[in-house]
Amino acid sequence: MSLSRRDFLIRSGLVAGGLMANGLWSRALVRKAFADIGDRFLVSIFLDGGNDGLNTVVPVANGSFANFRTSYEILRRSGPGGLRLSETLLTPYAVAADPNTNTPLALHPGLEGLHRLYQLGKVAVVQGCGYPEYNLSHAVSRTIWETASRAAMGPGWLGRYLASRYGASDIPALSVGYWMAGELRQQTTSVLTSIRLSELEFPLDNWYPDDDPAKKVAFQAVYGEAQASSQPLLRFLGNSGQATLTATQAYPGLDDLYAADRASWLQQYNDLDSGTARRLREIAKVIYGVHQGVPDVGARHFALANGGYDTHANQGTVGTNQAHYELHREVGDALEAFYHDLDDMGVADKVLVMVWSEFSRRPQQNDNGTDHGSQGPVFLIGGKVNGGVYGNHPNISDSRVLNPGATWDDGNTKYSQDNSDPHRSTDFRDVYGAILKHWLQIPQTEILSSLLTPDVGDPNFYWTLPNFDFVHPGNGQPLFLP
Amino acid sequence: MGDQNTLLGETHARHLLRRTGFGALKTDVQTFASLTRGAAADRLTSFKPAKFRPPGRDIWRRRVSWLKYMLRTRAPLQEKLVLFWHDHFATGNDKVQNHHWMADQNRLLRLYCKGNFKTFVKAINVDPAMMEYLDTFRNFKEQPNENYARELMELFTLGVTDLAGQPNYEQQDIVQIARAFSGWGWDWSRNRVRFNDWAHDYMSEYGSERGPKVIFRNHGGFGSSGRDFTQPNGEGPQEISQVVDIIFEHRDSDGKSTVARFITKKLLEYFAHPLPPYPDNATIIDRIIQRSAFDIEWDLRRLVREILVDDFFYETAGVPPYSASTPKSVVWPVDFVVTTLRLLRVRPRSDKWGNWYIEGGAYGNVTDYLADMGQILFEPPSVFGWDWEEGWINSATLLARYTFARDVAMARGNKAQHLRPHLLMNLNLTDPGDIVDAVTEALGIRQQLTAAERQALMNYLGGPLDLNDPGVREKKLHGLFALALQTPHVHLH
Repeated sequence: MSLSRRDFLIRSGLVAGGLMANGLWSRALVRKAFADIGDRFLVSIFLDGGNDGLNTVVPVANGSFANFRTSYEILRRSGPGGLRLSETLLTPYAVAADPNTNTPLALHPGLEGLHRLYQLGKVAVVQGCGYPEYNLSHAVSRTIWETASRAAMGPGWLGRYLASRYGASDIPALSVGYWMAGELRQQTTSVLTSIRLSELEFPLDNWYPDDDPAKKVAFQAVYGEAQASSQPLLRFLGNSGQATLTATQAYPGLDDLYAADRASWLQQYNDLDSGTARRLREIAKVIYGVHQGVPDVGARHFALANGGYDTHANQGTVGTNQAHYELHREVGDALEAFYHDLDDMGVADKVLVMVWSEFSRRPQQNDNGTDHGSQGPVFLIGGKVNGGVYGNHPNISDSRVLNPGATWDDGNTKYSQDNSDPHRSTDFRDVYGAILKHWLQIPQTEILSSLLTPDVGDPNFYWTLPNFDFVHPGNGQPLFLP
Repeated sequence: MGDQNTLLGETHARHLLRRTGFGALKTDVQTFASLTRGAAADRLTSFKPAKFRPPGRDIWRRRVSWLKYMLRTRAPLQEKLVLFWHDHFATGNDKVQNHHWMADQNRLLRLYCKGNFKTFVKAINVDPAMMEYLDTFRNFKEQPNENYARELMELFTLGVTDLAGQPNYEQQDIVQIARAFSGWGWDWSRNRVRFNDWAHDYMSEYGSERGPKVIFRNHGGFGSSGRDFTQPNGEGPQEISQVVDIIFEHRDSDGKSTVARFITKKLLEYFAHPLPPYPDNATIIDRIIQRSAFDIEWDLRRLVREILVDDFFYETAGVPPYSASTPKSVVWPVDFVVTTLRLLRVRPRSDKWGNWYIEGGAYGNVTDYLADMGQILFEPPSVFGWDWEEGWINSATLLARYTFARDVAMARGNKAQHLRPHLLMNLNLTDPGDIVDAVTEALGIRQQLTAAERQALMNYLGGPLDLNDPGVREKKLHGLFALALQTPHVHLH
């Protein structure tokens, strides 16, 4: 069992236990003492609603695997409102071929910005990520991805990591949005939730500002008491309130700092105004703040969501600028701008972005949209990412996929959908494991024992072969370069 | 064992009123203190179901009218239950896009909130807002839609697993129930739900191809054969209700009623706090079911009554020092807002645009504060409802709670009201300790404060105050109210 940060600090005599409790110590000292993960940042981006992965990473033409493209086109039929992405449209967005079938692959043309990053070698596409006995409910599947567990609710997979590494009054993570991102959720440390850092304002006295210092002292004393309580929920509220107060004093200032310095950077990327771009900019400000040693700014883990992927209908095809195209363009362009911002700051090598969705969509087009399906691609983006295509493309040529209505049990997963879905090729928990092991550098034993233990009592949700050491199929190097 | 005949006393009376209503007024506490648990529970649960349907010509106005009703109702337990069922049978107008249907559902929840649970579920089956939200209106024999079938079992009646962690049903059962629900639609000309023969999956039509509809082959105590609820041709509409009958017969792996345990557990957690793990929780749940015969009669009033007299319910009424043995629960945003308005006698102003706002506050509308606290009525985040407990708390929602606290304490139009005798019995109070006690008493948290917290609030006041000085009242007294409303105790109960 590892020492919690709090224990570590107390044992090493840096702070006295009593001082920890009321949150009035010097945080700069604490941070200096505990630079355990170095300057490494992790950003989780959730595509809410079930991104159609089959139209995100698309086979361009027949490869060595016969009929691949043909069967794909049967399933994604052309015609009015059809989802077919033609070879001509896809060619400019080519990425590496599928490692298994050698089928050439391309990104959705809406992902122009992401494709440019891919060409820089900064994007890894991990294909076919899913889990056994996949669940077609948005909420359930999302929770499974968030928690890496079958439990209906509970701490997120990153939340468990944070709880094992940080103390109650730290703010190790920021959820950009109105809600706490599920992957960051936990019950001990405090995760900041905000849509705009500049608006993180503690509500003080509009009429008698001179009274504010006295109010703050009282507030801190009351919340310090709650932090010291033995009642878990009271303690949780104490920690959250104290961290909120700290954040309101530290984070709003990042706006000006970032804006002032940005003006002097070498490359000036357009200020995109999409929701995703704005949220990523909030993250860039925090990373900049941490990097510049701004007191009390310490978040290293971030999460945001981009909604609207529940494209049961009117998904549109390229050129029609409909739902899926626009969603992809927003995310792809925002990711590109974010990366270049980080690059300008000189921290692109220290940031890893993971883009995921709760499930993908079925191969069969319904009308001019798609229904809930199984596995989908995960994107990993960053300066230290060994760009390329990992894992196998969903096998849509499988006769079972081409013949909806079939049911079968392959000993690993029971298939009982009326529309059969392709088998996953990667367990999503392997991707998490790779991030925990190689990016956050925690020991494998700890990953398995405390973070990603398969549920006991559910034999259908077993997890057979943890594979955290992804190797690039082309250059034989690991997923994260040293 | 917890008893019907135990006298409540002030602490438990305050607890009971707090959990079954919006804040405990001193007069009510005094009345209830001398009642027995049984008499108090009878009094609270014997309200006459109101047929109130939140009025308004859009969803925003309906939201406000429900809040206003909560604030003025004389049966707050009914509104607490309607909130519970709104979270349980979660339906969001973002998808339904029909505020008339949302209001109809709200009325339905009010009518059944303490009625027969089995009848309640059957009514929800054909509630237009629900049918639209979970796609019952888009369920045809060739393309059965599994959405409602899944949630009917997973969220509304059984849960995925029983208390011991054994699965209650399989995907196959979902498919079968989806078939039974095929064929329903909305008749726009007559404005009502209707059953379409042509879209229903009749057994005779497909005969051997699709076969009879059989559920719970492996679960529910029906043996390996399961239960077939296929109707002869022409009686398809009945299947939707027969499914509920079969589900209500489902048994846990240890033979107890799954539905009864599932609902009792959730209501217990709502009114009290999260239960201990299995098998201890089963002990508590089963004794309440046994006393209320809920697994036979499905009478929600009796169930709620037995919850409100049980020892488990009163375990939460502890006073300091807090320990793990006095568990707590996070106050829901709507509860926090309505309670605060009620205790401080603040009446937000209404305008002709349907806003209901606190004068001088940061926002235009009470519902905007609530949105930032994470609770928009008629818009639960998903069919899972809201995340309770820690899920309510993050820095964004806390800042919204703190902002509401400040604004409601300093509301320009309501300043003088804070000094009403019911809040501060005596304007001649000068001692900081007396003033802190009076304010925290009025907010129902005096007993929760530790000595250090009380001292911190006294320190904020500084020294003896003259409350007859308007400047002092505006600055220090309103500041004290804001601080008190920001303390963790107001947000936990």
